[in-house]
Amino acid sequence: MRGKRRLATMMALFLAFALIAAGCGSDDSGTGSDSSSAATNGDGGSDESTPTTDAASDTVGGGGTLTLGAEQEPDCMDWINTCAGSSWGSWMVNYQVMPRAFDFAKEGDAWVYEPSVLLAGEPEVTSNPQVVTYKLNPDAVWDDKTPITCKDFIYTWEQVAKGEDVYDPSGYVDIASVEATDDTTCKVTFSKPYAGWKSLFGGLYGVQPAHLLEGKDRNAEMKDGYKFSGGPFKLESWEKGTAITLVPNENYWGPKAKPDKVIFKLIPDTAAAFQAFKAGEVLAIYPQPQIDAIEQINAGLDDVTSVISADTGNLEALWMNNGKAPFDSVAVRQAFGYALDRDAIVKRLFGGIGVEAAVNSLNPPILSALADNAAWSGYKLDLAKVDELMTGDGWAKGADGIWAKGGQRASIEFKTTAGNKRRELTQQIVQEQAKAAGFELTINNQKAGDLFGQQLPAGDFQLALYAQVLTNLEPANCGLFCSKNIPTDANGNTGQNWTRTNIPALDPLLEEVDATVDDAARAKANKEADKIQAENMVSLPLDPLPNIGLVSKKIKGDVEENPITSVFGNLYQWSLN
Amino acid sequence: MTAYIVRRLVQVVVTIFFALTFLFLLYFALPGDAATLLAGGDGRVPDPVTVRQVQDRYGLDDPLPTQLASYWQRLVQGDLGQSYQSGRDVTSLLLEAAPRSIRLSIWAIMIEVVVGISVGLISAVRRSSLIDRLSTAVTAMASAVPVFVLAFVLQYLFAVIPEDQGWADFFRFETSGRGDDTWLLFFIPTGNTWRYLVLPAVTLASVSAALAARTARGSMLEVLGADFMRTAKAKGLRDREVLAKHGLRNAMLPVVALIGLDFGTSIGAAVLTETAFSWGGLGFYIAESVRRRDLPVLLGFTTVVVLAYCLINLLVDICYAWFDPRVRLRAGTAK
Repeated sequence: MRGKRRLATMMALFLAFALIAAGCGSDDSGTGSDSSSAATNGDGGSDESTPTTDAASDTVGGGGTLTLGAEQEPDCMDWINTCAGSSWGSWMVNYQVMPRAFDFAKEGDAWVYEPSVLLAGEPEVTSNPQVVTYKLNPDAVWDDKTPITCKDFIYTWEQVAKGEDVYDPSGYVDIASVEATDDTTCKVTFSKPYAGWKSLFGGLYGVQPAHLLEGKDRNAEMKDGYKFSGGPFKLESWEKGTAITLVPNENYWGPKAKPDKVIFKLIPDTAAAFQAFKAGEVLAIYPQPQIDAIEQINAGLDDVTSVISADTGNLEALWMNNGKAPFDSVAVRQAFGYALDRDAIVKRLFGGIGVEAAVNSLNPPILSALADNAAWSGYKLDLAKVDELMTGDGWAKGADGIWAKGGQRASIEFKTTAGNKRRELTQQIVQEQAKAAGFELTINNQKAGDLFGQQLPAGDFQLALYAQVLTNLEPANCGLFCSKNIPTDANGNTGQNWTRTNIPALDPLLEEVDATVDDAARAKANKEADKIQAENMVSLPLDPLPNIGLVSKKIKGDVEENPITSVFGNLYQWSLN
Repeated sequence: MTAYIVRRLVQVVVTIFFALTFLFLLYFALPGDAATLLAGGDGRVPDPVTVRQVQDRYGLDDPLPTQLASYWQRLVQGDLGQSYQSGRDVTSLLLEAAPRSIRLSIWAIMIEVVVGISVGLISAVRRSSLIDRLSTAVTAMASAVPVFVLAFVLQYLFAVIPEDQGWADFFRFETSGRGDDTWLLFFIPTGNTWRYLVLPAVTLASVSAALAARTARGSMLEVLGADFMRTAKAKGLRDREVLAKHGLRNAMLPVVALIGLDFGTSIGAAVLTETAFSWGGLGFYIAESVRRRDLPVLLGFTTVVVLAYCLINLLVDICYAWFDPRVRLRAGTAK
């Protein structure tokens, strides 16, 4: 009995000790040194009302600690490797710490490449063969003060063009040589013309430090995070499953980072991210444009700067198989274009966040400078036009109101990736509208792997809903629409012209877009291609999958959406009010 | 007793085998596939060449039986594999995540034991009183409310409203993450960690605490009407002594069994709780691995959860046998 009492006493003491320990914790937090608070001042205080001075661009830090929400954790930080495909990895770390030759900037209504602070100016470009000469900024240094030189360009090229498990070697494999004329001059010679040369030595991979990585296993050095930097921030820590922390790179030669620290807190669940945002635990979130996120925004958020942009690198479309009935007929494809009220569909999906107009080009909105942005604008709901086109093509409506020809009904299988609620809603709306015009759509959704890996390449579809996503400012239309890229045995079935578009007048235009370095000529050819594609209705562009950035008004500094680098693209300018 | 334990251990092995095999097969019924996602297909159309490279590397295009056999071959050698996504050893991921879940579960169980049993017992002793009716209503509601709903309600009440109203930090709790993540004696939060712990622990404890309260109440009511209780009173013992010495121990038997089961259930509920609070434990990783089709992580973590569930139930059974000799006797008879 005495033993039991002793045990009970010990347990009581232990619990009391636990409560006291927890209580001590509360005291610590109560003093305002709560490092987890989303809004803490740079000097360690947590007084959110204390304004920080607008730090000059040559002053590092002083802007406090910013805690921001991240929907996804990168799988690794070896940006060249396939494991680094997460856009979030690029937004949070890559674009903040890696030097790159070109930035993405808005010029008027168009997004364009702009030489970054890594370059001393616009590179010199000559043709036949294509040679690009980069003049590097002599002030450009890594965080250990080692100059960034042509050796870093050579190293990057070799790793991407000749490495294994490379995420996307496009362009780098077309380089014949990279030579250092001197430490700050780098001559890149292409084996064949490559119009998208500005996307190289930047974008996905940045420029990598040869002096730190040469002769080492790059993947091992970088995959779990690395300390070197050639950008405004450097990585302080990566606590897996929890947070990524950046601190300013004090030796950055460009505009200095204002925040003392940036903590990206991993909150994969969208609803949880909104709760954390509303509770002030994170000061910015960048949710995907799914139905629940849009509903949350519509429900109202106070003291928030919303940056919602339809100017994205995304294009969601109704992709038609031009090689398979009934869409092997131009008239049927055109009739289908007149059967839908695309603006109404987009308004239903994204009207709540102010995006109400359908895309009218098969180029994502960020390529507006290169596109005919009104090419599809003539395709509006017009049932009389549907009747005219269908009857002209020999179709007649049956008793069930569905078009039929030669015993075949206009019954179309409609596929998308299973489990995506927004796409499923889109399908339902399209299905309803199409039925009113005499088309029967049968929804048959698929695993993403089956759809993208097998069915689309094999042409096993009639109508599919999915998005093309750009990570740079280069059109990829020849890959998608040139007849030589229809998957066949001749190209090892690797071609990505899954819509089986085969228009002789289109091929030379799209090939010119890929090969010419003359921006004006490229734009002209690409616009002409857009027009031809619209006339032939190769597919039906739908929406731009808008980007949504929500930033607390506690944050001072320009809050703007960059379709490539995200709302965090100019994070270095942010500070607390 | 030894034979009983051995028999139960064999059952544990069989359970794990079927659970993991079932899960492995279920994985392939999920929409989306690992190769596409690994090749960068999350939000874009991946390069088919890269998809094929990924399939070759991980054997993802092998026939299902081959993949299953290969998985079991590695597992019996203690190799849980590497994450498809990050390339990290599943074992190291487990070593990071398991302590987080265990800490959360410990606090949830403590809440369950302290709050659940106390409420149940008080309710039984004061049967038909206002307290009894109130506790019955609250526990019924707590059992009925889904965990994720409760999580968001608590977040709203204790984090969003305090932020809106500008309440002092002391009255605020955090909705996500683990804060400083500093602990004393493994499970006692220090620094600001407690702010992150309270809401997920209460959420996780809610359903099980309600069940414990209802079980404790029912069990205690049954015991209160038992002959030995009347005998104890007739002997002149005070009410408190009768309850503590005779009532409590007998009433606790079903509650102990329930708590054991709850530990396993709480790990299941932790998938929702940890996701809602971004807690970064086993449940969080299981949910993420499903979303990202990361089969090695999913199977590795599930192995541990199933193992823990089985072993805890084994321990509960042993405890139960210790509390109630009749259980041990039946085991002996079976021998």
